[in-house]
Amino acid sequence: MPDFVAPTLDLHALAPEFVLAGVVCVLLLLDVVLLDRAKAIVGSIAGLGLLGSLVPILTLATSDHPTRTMFGGSYVVDSTSLLLKALFIVSAYVVVLLSTNYIGEGDYWESEYYTLLVSSVLGMTVMASARDLISIFVALELLSIPAYMLAAWSKRDGRSNEAGMKYYLMGVFASAILLYGMSLLYGWSGSTQLSEIGRAIGEKNSPAVTLGVVFVLVGFAFKVSAVPFHMWAPDTYEGAPTPVTAFLAVASKAAGFVALIQVIGQALVLRMNVMIPVVAVLAALSMTIGNLIALRQTNVIRMLAYSGIAQAGFMLAPFVASQYGGIDAIVIYLVLYAATNLGAFAVVMAIARRTRSAEISSFGGLFSYSPGLAVALSVFLASFVGIPPLGIWYGKLSVMRALIESQGRWATVLAIFVALNTAIAAYYYLNVAKTMWFDDAPEGESTPIKVPTSLRFAVGIALVATIALGVYPGPLTDAATPEATPAAAPSGR
Amino acid sequence: MIASLFAAQACAPSECFAVPANIAFGICALLMIGAAIKVVTETNIVHAALYLVVVLAGVGVNYLILQAEFLAVTQFLVYIGAIIVLFLFGIMLTRAPMGRSDDLDNAKLRPAGIGAAVMLLVVLGGALLSSFGETHLVFSTANSTTALSDAVFNQYLIPFEVVSVMLLAALIGAIVLARRD
Repeated sequence: MPDFVAPTLDLHALAPEFVLAGVVCVLLLLDVVLLDRAKAIVGSIAGLGLLGSLVPILTLATSDHPTRTMFGGSYVVDSTSLLLKALFIVSAYVVVLLSTNYIGEGDYWESEYYTLLVSSVLGMTVMASARDLISIFVALELLSIPAYMLAAWSKRDGRSNEAGMKYYLMGVFASAILLYGMSLLYGWSGSTQLSEIGRAIGEKNSPAVTLGVVFVLVGFAFKVSAVPFHMWAPDTYEGAPTPVTAFLAVASKAAGFVALIQVIGQALVLRMNVMIPVVAVLAALSMTIGNLIALRQTNVIRMLAYSGIAQAGFMLAPFVASQYGGIDAIVIYLVLYAATNLGAFAVVMAIARRTRSAEISSFGGLFSYSPGLAVALSVFLASFVGIPPLGIWYGKLSVMRALIESQGRWATVLAIFVALNTAIAAYYYLNVAKTMWFDDAPEGESTPIKVPTSLRFAVGIALVATIALGVYPGPLTDAATPEATPAAAPSGR
Repeated sequence: MIASLFAAQACAPSECFAVPANIAFGICALLMIGAAIKVVTETNIVHAALYLVVVLAGVGVNYLILQAEFLAVTQFLVYIGAIIVLFLFGIMLTRAPMGRSDDLDNAKLRPAGIGAAVMLLVVLGGALLSSFGETHLVFSTANSTTALSDAVFNQYLIPFEVVSVMLLAALIGAIVLARRD
């Protein structure tokens, strides 16, 4: 029997994960040692810790070996995964900024809140590098389980309990389906590694493979709230504490997409005949139904939830053009979507602090008494619509380019769907802008809304990212495009 | 011990799966199917949980037949030792009805449920039979527990560590949500 050989670890490549795990421990211990005095600093510690984990990502991105492989290709750190890790960490940082006042002023358990938030981010960063089924599944559970509980964090609010419960039940159901699909793929290929599975299912098809691929796609469709598996999303988004909603709508959804990117890009791309119809139907349904329901919403948070479903459709579409730069387009879209959506949530939270509601009608005449917030929200809404040079226009361009270049039948149909739905979406996004600029302010609303510093900062980060990446998307495209020779990458160091 | 008993009877890879193992599987499968149907149709929730024990134990026995003794022990410990006991505690410590409750069974939805179950059986069974029907199982002499532990601390080191953070997070969140304050 061969003796056990310890694996070689590239500690530099794992440094961001180590920092995040350290932050989780520090937050826990602070609460134990400082008791009530911890409340004042846990938010700052969580924020600083997240920023600290960006340092190793920067040193990795600028190092001589941008691509590092561990465990025989099961764990890969390359420019795309670094970009995605940075996306998760910066999004979480903005969510911490959004939470500082909201969680501090409400009746919440604070240090546990940040502990769960950071552990969820740890799951996301692992997901960005995971290249085998077990790592992907475990990372998915680590990022979901804290999110289920955060959705129910406002314990005395029945709607928050409902949000957490619905999200949990749907999420577990999806995990079960996903796991069954994974077991079928593993049973057929005899390996948990995505590249090996791709080779095995690419050589020969069988009903078990078809079923496995469909189950895996359905499992992830729940996670990214694609129609018809979107039922949980609007209720969960409305009931959960608003910063948690922002986290779910941006980081959690992005992580679902990252998992899809790994599974489809590494393995299922060799089984296009099964994968394309499933993804195409999911994408077309999500875009159209998400948009049609968003049209009728009167609450901004619910509108953002349904528009998020429609945006998920835009991001699913390029998977049918995976071999023509579709995956890069999804990564680009994800980054821009995160910046825009977090910004929109930050402004809505700032306004809701005063109006105590997120009804669209309560936004009337916002420009007359709080012009800064009105302009900021208008920028984010215009970015959602895809007006150049604001953020998402470049994402939409990349998606369309990938779809049209692939020239497939499904891709062409989806390109038409994307164009039509962009037009539908413009109506309800700009409707909110119209309410803010032209409608009358409610009685007694004349003093400008006071925005706390942390929220101001969050809006600022999102604004800068939305505008800068829209005007100059070059670096984003470079980071999202993987190097040409993944097979010849040096292993370890 | 049971596993090694079956292993001694193993035939060559080209031949069939060992006869005693086949018989053991047949008995086990029948018991599991019967118990699984009772889990769904039983109107007393405590009885339903106890029938679930039979189903989960059957899975454990299947692992034993396949010579995965570590997996079998884990299955017994975790599912029967922990999860079912938790179910029963949950039923007894909350105000859930303990005896017969007729509203557990939804007669109107029964045809739909049976239809969905039969459809799933046909699709899954068909796919599995046509994909793996020709595959012969080979009994290995290697110690699967050793292989498993080697894999956990080598190839799957990162998921193993990630699971520990996940359990910690689940614990903290569950305490916060469950405690009375």
